[in-house]
Amino acid sequence: MKVLDNKKKIESFKLFLYILPFLILVGMFAYYPLYGWVYAFFDYRPPKPFSLDDFVGLKWFKYIVDNPIRVNQIVTVMKNTFAMSALTLGTSWLPMLFAVFLNEIKCVRFRKFIQTVTTLPNFISWVLVYSIAYCIFNSTGMMNSFLQSLGLITEPILFLQQSDHVWLTQWLWLTWKNLGWAAIMYIAAISSIDEEMYEAARVDGATRMQIIRNITIPSLMPTFFVLLMINIGNFLNNGMEQFYVFQNAFNKEAIQVLDLYVYNLAMGSGSYSVSVALSMLKSIVSVILLFFANKMSKSIRGESFI
Amino acid sequence: MKSKSLLTMGMILSISLATALSGCGSSSNEATKDTGASGEGKSTEKSVETSAATGEVSHDTELTLEVYDVAANYQGLQTGWYGKILKDKFNIVLNIIAPQVSGDASSLYQTRCAAGNLGDVVILDNIDMQECIDAGLIADIGADIGNYPNLMKYEEQINLFNGDLNGVAEGSIYAIPTEMNTNGPTAYIADTVYTCPRLPWDYYSELGCPEMKNLDDLLKVLSDMQAAHPTNANGDKAYAISLWPDWDGTSIETVNQLTKWYGQEVNGSVLLGTDNSIRPLTDKEGAYYKMLQFLYKAQNMGLVDPDSATQDWTTVCDNKMKQKRVYLFWYNWQRGFWNTPEKSEQGDFYVAAPIEDLNIYQASDTYYGSGRVWGIGSNVDPEKKARIMEFLDWLCTPEGLTYQHAGTEGLIYTVNDDGTYSLTADGFNRFTADIMVPEELGGGKWSDGNNNINQWIVGSVDKNPETGEPYGTDFWSSTIKANETTGLRQWQEKYGAENEVKYFESTGQLVPVPSINKPLVNDTTDIALIRNQCGDLICDNSWKMIFAKDDAEFNQIWDDMYTQIQGFGWDELVQFDTEKWQVVVDARKAAS
Repeated sequence: MKVLDNKKKIESFKLFLYILPFLILVGMFAYYPLYGWVYAFFDYRPPKPFSLDDFVGLKWFKYIVDNPIRVNQIVTVMKNTFAMSALTLGTSWLPMLFAVFLNEIKCVRFRKFIQTVTTLPNFISWVLVYSIAYCIFNSTGMMNSFLQSLGLITEPILFLQQSDHVWLTQWLWLTWKNLGWAAIMYIAAISSIDEEMYEAARVDGATRMQIIRNITIPSLMPTFFVLLMINIGNFLNNGMEQFYVFQNAFNKEAIQVLDLYVYNLAMGSGSYSVSVALSMLKSIVSVILLFFANKMSKSIRGESFI
Repeated sequence: MKSKSLLTMGMILSISLATALSGCGSSSNEATKDTGASGEGKSTEKSVETSAATGEVSHDTELTLEVYDVAANYQGLQTGWYGKILKDKFNIVLNIIAPQVSGDASSLYQTRCAAGNLGDVVILDNIDMQECIDAGLIADIGADIGNYPNLMKYEEQINLFNGDLNGVAEGSIYAIPTEMNTNGPTAYIADTVYTCPRLPWDYYSELGCPEMKNLDDLLKVLSDMQAAHPTNANGDKAYAISLWPDWDGTSIETVNQLTKWYGQEVNGSVLLGTDNSIRPLTDKEGAYYKMLQFLYKAQNMGLVDPDSATQDWTTVCDNKMKQKRVYLFWYNWQRGFWNTPEKSEQGDFYVAAPIEDLNIYQASDTYYGSGRVWGIGSNVDPEKKARIMEFLDWLCTPEGLTYQHAGTEGLIYTVNDDGTYSLTADGFNRFTADIMVPEELGGGKWSDGNNNINQWIVGSVDKNPETGEPYGTDFWSSTIKANETTGLRQWQEKYGAENEVKYFESTGQLVPVPSINKPLVNDTTDIALIRNQCGDLICDNSWKMIFAKDDAEFNQIWDDMYTQIQGFGWDELVQFDTEKWQVVVDARKAAS
């Protein structure tokens, strides 16, 4: 009996060892960095070494909201963040639809070609995307030359300086870059749908559209929901590289999302403390959103994912 | 370039994150410990250093020096002809770290500071030097410098500067100012001013060199010029004015340079006047507003390159200035992107175009230093320190200075019978054409192999004892003679002066203010935050003002901006800067 008990213990210890590296990794990269939050309560400015004498309490949190103009700026930033995240979230069914239609293409070579072409932009860095954008859309660039040669315009249009529809254009860039990549998950999910269901549907005389509507899409729904929930948790993390390279004096007001704002603040002036304070708030909002999404999922689909 | 800079930035960020989390405390402690210990350990250390300095420094092992250089426009190893000279002479390889290239200069600076090691050789703005010394990042060279006679030529200036630093003990030396000379504190020997309106002479004389009373006349001239020459010779669209946003700080850098036409220099949030006045940048009577208005008017006349707010300096320089697609230059060094004696013979060169109401802000030659300093990182060992000192000393020798300010004998210049130098044909074109360097001198393009540190301890105006002329090729009598082309003679005839400096001095439009070099107070966290947030708003809104559709919009943006920056604490910042620059104004009054 004792031997068995020990064996069991050894076995479970072994199992524990299997996950230990991952626990350490999570601890190191997800929990240990939270120690950095202390910077929000200090007046820290390199190259001066960090010292306990510079404790300032909640000064930086108050700073963010201590007069209407600063509040205004934060509100604008949050508006941009929410608008752009909402746009992405609201259109997160696009990759699914794209995958479904891609799957309907019967010519395999053509399908592979389309898939490659749409996946490729995902691997181009935002910096390069901007240089491509600059080449195409500057005042003497391809787009303006083309429009001018057609006689549609006489003066060049300054596409990159537009202050209107910034959210939309940024969403378009993002979609162009991500669509193919995001569709991969759905393509994989489609291939795992039971072939017999399709056959049965065909025998029953269903049209292609009917098959898509009644078999493919419902089978993809679980995948879609999981991805949607994850996206809600990431609502405030809409990245900064894209907005960093595309920002200029004219679109800044509409393009400055929370991550970019924190970056501009910290890196522009060394105001690390304020930036940490801001990103702490961000983490808290993200956690709230995640629980909210979880609850939604529970009540709508009867299962939670946390 | 941008991708590279982002990459390095990313790398540095991740490294610094790691250090911020674990090593930050320990590494910066170490740095302070170093300086703390230097008091006790000085006697032993000193003997090692002096023996290394006065004795032979071994060049047997190759030494790679990390040069943190705020002046550099190139990041990476120094290669080419200049690299070969350093390699052959000292067995040194320079690895230049260039915050200007890194995309975000201040973040690179702060992250490296936080890591506790800025570099082996450090070139910083005065203002950052003080805090780096406080943080223990810079080595004390007070005990060594006496052994280096070429550096000691500038002892007065070096001592003066270090004496102004806070918390530096008597006899300690941390910083060596840049671009010093031995000509005296109020001398101004250049034949050009740093910034004034410069136009292509051929196009200007084609219009009959109309007299210009004020900026409106300048706009008229530019507009006529652009109408007459809408494209360059290759048929590419040309604009009178092209700007770039990547040098912006608290305000638009190109506008800052134009304010100097009207007797005011932008320094952070204040304008320093030739009349020793200090006023806020946002003063509507001030030159910053005036020049914004000038650019706005120009833009509405279709004279401003529409890509101005979205292009970077490299694009403007390579694709526009070097292709004669821009008609208004201001910097004196900007002319080098186009002017050559051959072109100037045809009148095809950029030259000063006087306007009657100009009041040029020009500081005298930087006798005391030009606002930056060299230092040695506190992490170097005594042997490395001795080799660095030897290198810095060589930079101040006639030999070193001739390499830095001219180039190699034979390729760039030749020695005349009377001992003075003359530029060769390649020498004249070294900045405008791709001069190939012979393999035995290092090979590659001359400009790629040029001294990428881009900053000098001794300025080009200092006299070379071997020739009796300044080191800078522009000041050589042979160059001045060679530059006397038909074009220039036409200009001299028209304005009755030998050069623009003589002209502006004769009309009373140029009275150089004494150049002052002091370590100034650095921002506190609060001030830095205000400066950053106000700066962003001012830059963004200034650009919007330049591209405004009408006067109403122009004024509206200014007023909105003014209210906003008030909310961010602008007045506090102005007060801080006024006090900070009062020191300079006082020193100026004392010097003149």
